[in-house]
Amino acid sequence: MREQPPQPIREPRNLSWRVGVLAVIFTVGLSLLFFRLWYVQLATGEVWAREADQNIVSVEPIPARRGDIVDRNGLLLATSVPNLVIEIDRAVLPLEVEDEVIQRLAAILDVSPVEVRQAVERTPSGQVASLIGFEINADTAYLILEQRSTLPGVEVRALPIRGYPNSSLMGHVLGHMGLPSPEDLERLTTPYIDTPVGKLGVEREYDPFLQGTPGKTAYRIDPEGNILELIGTVDPVPGSTVRLTLDADLQREVERILIEAVDLSNAIKAEQEITDPDEIPPPTERSTALVMEINTGAIRAMASYPTFEPEGFVGGIDVETFEELSDRQAFNNLAIQGLKPPASTFKTITYVTAMEESIFPEGVSSPEETIECSARLSADFTDDSQLLWRNWTFPEADGDQNLHDAFRRSCNIYFWEVALSIWDRYARTDREGIVQEWASALGLGRPTQVDLPFEQEGILGNRQLFEEWQENQPWRVRQEGWLGGDLMNLVVGQGPIVTTPLQMAVAYASLMNGGSVYQPRVAEAIETAEGERIRTLGPRLLRTVDISPSTVESLRRDMTAVVSSGTARRAFQDMGPMVDLVGGKTGTAQSFVDQEGQFHDSTAWFIGMAPMDSPRWVVVVMVDEGGSGGAVAAPAARAIFQYLFGEEVIPLAPGEDTER
Amino acid sequence: MMLGDRSRSGVGGILEDRPRPVPDVLMFLIIAGLMALGSVMIYSSTYIRLDEETGDPGSAMRKQLVFAVAGLVTYLVCSMVDYRLYRRFQVPIYICLMLALFLVLFASPQKGATRWIPVGPFQFQPSEFAKVALIVVLAALLAPEAGRLLTWKRLGRALLAAALPGFLIFRQPDLGTMLVVGFITIGMLFVARSSIRQMLVLGVAGVVGAFAMFQLDILRSYQANRLSGFFDQTADLQGVNWNLNQSQIAIGSGQLFGRGLFQGTQTRLSFIPSQTTDFIFTAVGEQFGFIGSAAVILAYAILIWRVLIVAIGSPNAFGTLISVGMASLLSFHVFVNIGMTVGLVPVTGLPLPFMSAGGSAMIAMSGGLGIVNSVWRSRSPVGEREPNDFW
Repeated sequence: MREQPPQPIREPRNLSWRVGVLAVIFTVGLSLLFFRLWYVQLATGEVWAREADQNIVSVEPIPARRGDIVDRNGLLLATSVPNLVIEIDRAVLPLEVEDEVIQRLAAILDVSPVEVRQAVERTPSGQVASLIGFEINADTAYLILEQRSTLPGVEVRALPIRGYPNSSLMGHVLGHMGLPSPEDLERLTTPYIDTPVGKLGVEREYDPFLQGTPGKTAYRIDPEGNILELIGTVDPVPGSTVRLTLDADLQREVERILIEAVDLSNAIKAEQEITDPDEIPPPTERSTALVMEINTGAIRAMASYPTFEPEGFVGGIDVETFEELSDRQAFNNLAIQGLKPPASTFKTITYVTAMEESIFPEGVSSPEETIECSARLSADFTDDSQLLWRNWTFPEADGDQNLHDAFRRSCNIYFWEVALSIWDRYARTDREGIVQEWASALGLGRPTQVDLPFEQEGILGNRQLFEEWQENQPWRVRQEGWLGGDLMNLVVGQGPIVTTPLQMAVAYASLMNGGSVYQPRVAEAIETAEGERIRTLGPRLLRTVDISPSTVESLRRDMTAVVSSGTARRAFQDMGPMVDLVGGKTGTAQSFVDQEGQFHDSTAWFIGMAPMDSPRWVVVVMVDEGGSGGAVAAPAARAIFQYLFGEEVIPLAPGEDTER
Repeated sequence: MMLGDRSRSGVGGILEDRPRPVPDVLMFLIIAGLMALGSVMIYSSTYIRLDEETGDPGSAMRKQLVFAVAGLVTYLVCSMVDYRLYRRFQVPIYICLMLALFLVLFASPQKGATRWIPVGPFQFQPSEFAKVALIVVLAALLAPEAGRLLTWKRLGRALLAAALPGFLIFRQPDLGTMLVVGFITIGMLFVARSSIRQMLVLGVAGVVGAFAMFQLDILRSYQANRLSGFFDQTADLQGVNWNLNQSQIAIGSGQLFGRGLFQGTQTRLSFIPSQTTDFIFTAVGEQFGFIGSAAVILAYAILIWRVLIVAIGSPNAFGTLISVGMASLLSFHVFVNIGMTVGLVPVTGLPLPFMSAGGSAMIAMSGGLGIVNSVWRSRSPVGEREPNDFW
């Protein structure tokens, strides 16, 4: 609509009367308000005021029942149980009778009045003090309620507290509760300063679903605190149930096997004859294992040893217990936080890179061609650096091997030669990092996005990262930057690479299912308290990696060979007929002496899969500073597979001490 | 523009020495005062609860102060912009307002209605802006026809322009805002020279429409409940009349002088739902009594009076109609909001201008009054009547 040209003809009559009419209407409206206010506040104000004086409304929050956590079969793992608590509303309790009331209460509770006073004075006057820590049963509660007229401001309420019926089972996954910190108050949408919130694990991650919405009751009370009438009640909305993907029975077995693995490792260490006193390994203390579904990312078991009891945090944990657990790193969920070099388990990635990119040792053009797996390798780099590398079989050589043999026997020489080929061909080009690109696509060096808090993402070194470090953290890298030796270290899972067991599980699962990278997850669904499903949480495909079926097939065969005739053979020899359906890869991270001169033993890895004709589970076992992967980790994985196949789980026996 | 033309033509050469019209300082002071009072009222009715829940008693007030500053800035910016510009952009303005009202229907519902679009940490409420935008569009649609009564064709066009957003607002559902749109439209049509017959036809149509809404179950059950609850205030004190009863106790107990700042037991214990938004006036009533309440109503009356003065003094119909629309908007909000807290009208969720907690209404209304102030600034400085295409 365009503006019209000015109208030459003018309306003779003055029409601002129309605005005047509006003004009158508005005035009438506002006058109505004025008179109504006069009526409410002045004419009848005294009546309202009297009502208001009686109308000291006491609003009491009704805590919402926190939702349960159950395993995939519905077994209760975390729940809320009602617990009677005495509360004293210090706003209602007149100061002059406070002493009297405390003495009377102490008599009923059969404790000293001093204790009660201390409990009351933890809360500032004018607020509601909860007397936590006093044993109250139904009889005591009735006694208090009967004497209510002489106990102004005293209430007995049923407060739900958190209970974990299976003590430490799945402790790291479940997490624990605690009073909200300032960060929690910032992070959560509807926190209450005195209501515990999830601090770790599923309790933290799914807190918004578990928490529910508190309700409230409003009473009209007189100034003495007597309830005159109930004004209204807003019912609390109970929290939802979180159903996990984990299987409590499997978890219990895995946790038991982990302890057995630590014992096995220590037994082996005790047998070792070590001449150099500086190389006597400290006892093995930590281990972790997980079982994940290859085609969905659902985690069926996730255990970390040592563990803790979530219930220890209910009502506050004492300092000594906390520090003791903390010293042993018991709160660390090693499956998602334990960063270790993946060692030879990384050779799978190098293997896939070699096959997919057709890069083999110099003079070799197919995975079938062999080179000698010699005892050592000396390498000259284009940058004039020279290195001498030993295979783990040193001083023995390990015969002629092709890619398949090298994988089965975990021959470092072959994989180093692959690294040298990559370096010779692609150094300082954009294809220099093909191994890291494959590793990253499969999920290493980045968060797996598991639905648990505080996941570590690890390190996946390359030239760019080294340059960043030279900028920001120069003490971490040498001046020359990224060298061929770094790549050689990396292809056998040493040097500039650390991963979590879960990252390795994701990488292996994605390779075995043909390239689908799923979000690993511990929660299956959100349900109402009555068990009705509100939301199903997975599977969630994060991305797909293009990998040829022939490579997958070849890898599948070679992983089976690792178990039937390779580095894990002895660990699996007693498994029984199902052994043909298991494949995997051992890994042994190098022992080292730290800057304080402390010797750290090798870290043992085994990553296995079954059944190999159509892979369904990936099992990762990592024993921190536990020795050889073939000797310690593989036997533990064997026991887990026996359980998965429904066979009798036989005790752990040492496997072959390899890769050291 | 108009001033420039006159000085160029030589008629008003002396005008250049005269001061340009000053902005309406009184309007600005009243708006800022209401905003400040609102923030204090919000603090007085939230500090205890917030202190208990989060340990930070001032968070609600600080948030409101941010909105207040944003509102004042918007007011000043809109005062600077020449309001005649909006006339050229009436079509894009209308498209934007329809789009926002349409999009909000797909936002996730809160408290049973989809009125808000989350924008970062804030909740954007398009219907608040839509009201002001609609005033501008209606003013543009109705202004050009000078010197004659309103034709049916133009009337129909304006009604359609108002009905489309009205329908979308009703879908949210937001009955209160829909009624505001209706009231503004009628007020502006009246000043835009609609005939008696046209007003009568509109009135009859309105009554029939309201009756049909009740009969055809178009109203949500809670809306019907609030209305029927209003007509029988003694029934169901714990249910629908809960708000009403509590708010009257709070205001009534203020009596002549009020209980004093931070002395109001009712508002402090914050058991009136929507205490800081729709029922903020209860805090004034309880703490400052009849004197304070009457002063607040007086402040609104002066504000509305100033806007109507601008309507009469506007050099053109566009400015007159914008001012009339804004005056209608303000009056309706004030009347319905305060009326609801004292049991004069049924409970409908309309914010009290410049006082209720929330940013959308604050910024939108500040912007609207800024436009009115822009009309004021462009009037003739010499007091003689400009060639107004209206009168």
